[in-house]
Amino acid sequence: MLAAGLALVVWSGWKNWSQRRSAMQAQQQRRVDLMPGNSSPAASDFSAGQSQLRGKPAPAFTLLDLNGNKVSLSNFKGRPLVLNFWGTYCEPCKIEMPWLEEFSKKYAPDGFQVIGITYDSEVGRDTIARDTGKLGVTYPILLSTPTAEKDYLSGTDALPMSFYVDKSGKVIEVTAGLGSKDELESMVKETIAAGGK
Amino acid sequence: MMIDPALTNDSGAPFIPRPLWNGWETSSLSSSRTNISRRAFASIAALALFLAATAQFGSAQFDSMDAPVKPRATVLYAAEPQSVSAARRAVLELRFQIVPGFHINSHTPNSQLLIPTALTLEPAPGVKPGALVYPAGQPYSFAFDPGNKLDVYAGSFTVRLPVVATAGDHTIDGTLKYQACDNASCYPPKTLPVKIVFTAK
Repeated sequence: MLAAGLALVVWSGWKNWSQRRSAMQAQQQRRVDLMPGNSSPAASDFSAGQSQLRGKPAPAFTLLDLNGNKVSLSNFKGRPLVLNFWGTYCEPCKIEMPWLEEFSKKYAPDGFQVIGITYDSEVGRDTIARDTGKLGVTYPILLSTPTAEKDYLSGTDALPMSFYVDKSGKVIEVTAGLGSKDELESMVKETIAAGGK
Repeated sequence: MMIDPALTNDSGAPFIPRPLWNGWETSSLSSSRTNISRRAFASIAALALFLAATAQFGSAQFDSMDAPVKPRATVLYAAEPQSVSAARRAVLELRFQIVPGFHINSHTPNSQLLIPTALTLEPAPGVKPGALVYPAGQPYSFAFDPGNKLDVYAGSFTVRLPVVATAGDHTIDGTLKYQACDNASCYPPKTLPVKIVFTAK
């Protein structure tokens, strides 16, 4: 009786674990599909954009900031960067932006810089400034353009999307969606360490 | 390549429940003085406990990593022909379906910064519409921000439209504006054409 009960528990546990493992593998595959070298039809737009950028020089841009000043990627030459695409409607973006603010200060001695690029710039500077002000963001916030979106996002519209650019100007990692704060900091450290002295 | 944190352990390696397996093997095999039946019992019990533990552990993680691949549209509407009494107040029900894995802000999303779901209707001859009635949302929090309770629709939701209409067939055109997210990403606001078809008798 006891053995039968235990066997039932073992069987149900094993079945549950197997199902979850399959789901985890499928999920991991989806993540992988978003990365270079894969061509999942469901994520083809996204993977194409990322595979074009990862390991390649970050595309040049000149965008307006909230004060109407032109800011170019070349202004930050030689510095490790995170280019963070976000939107005013995007709650996950607003969760990670204070983390980025914290890291931009913590790693400023390493030359690290965060640049926010607002995807829905059509909402206007006042709305954007209102949101970034509430979030305590002081790093540069730029207004996206169709060209910048084509160069970086390549058709995907999922936010947040971050591009980690090392000191040599190369995109070393691309992330989509909200991850953990520890994971984000780990990527910042990798970005600072990459690209030579 | 970046791996979902939900799939990694503390060291960043992919999540494989091997340490638990190793612990079981070590404890059961190191007890050379136990007889076979007791060892077998202990092994089965340990295995059962392990599987139960991983089932619990994994279930919690699975919820946080179940991000879907985004389809073309995240909200669907099918015009369902309805019949109401002519020249009397009646209520039309407009049913919307949200693709599994996604949610949209409710009509009252608990934040002025978020875009509420809203339906706008075109004037239709012979139809006098009342104020739309939106359903209540359900609470939702993103990972890493459990204290921020948003108000969302997920699964399906029904908007009710009171009307008084003259006898005959009627069509009201409208547009649903919504903004969708999954458990880690958000997508730009979208509009969905809505055609409300009904007959007043």
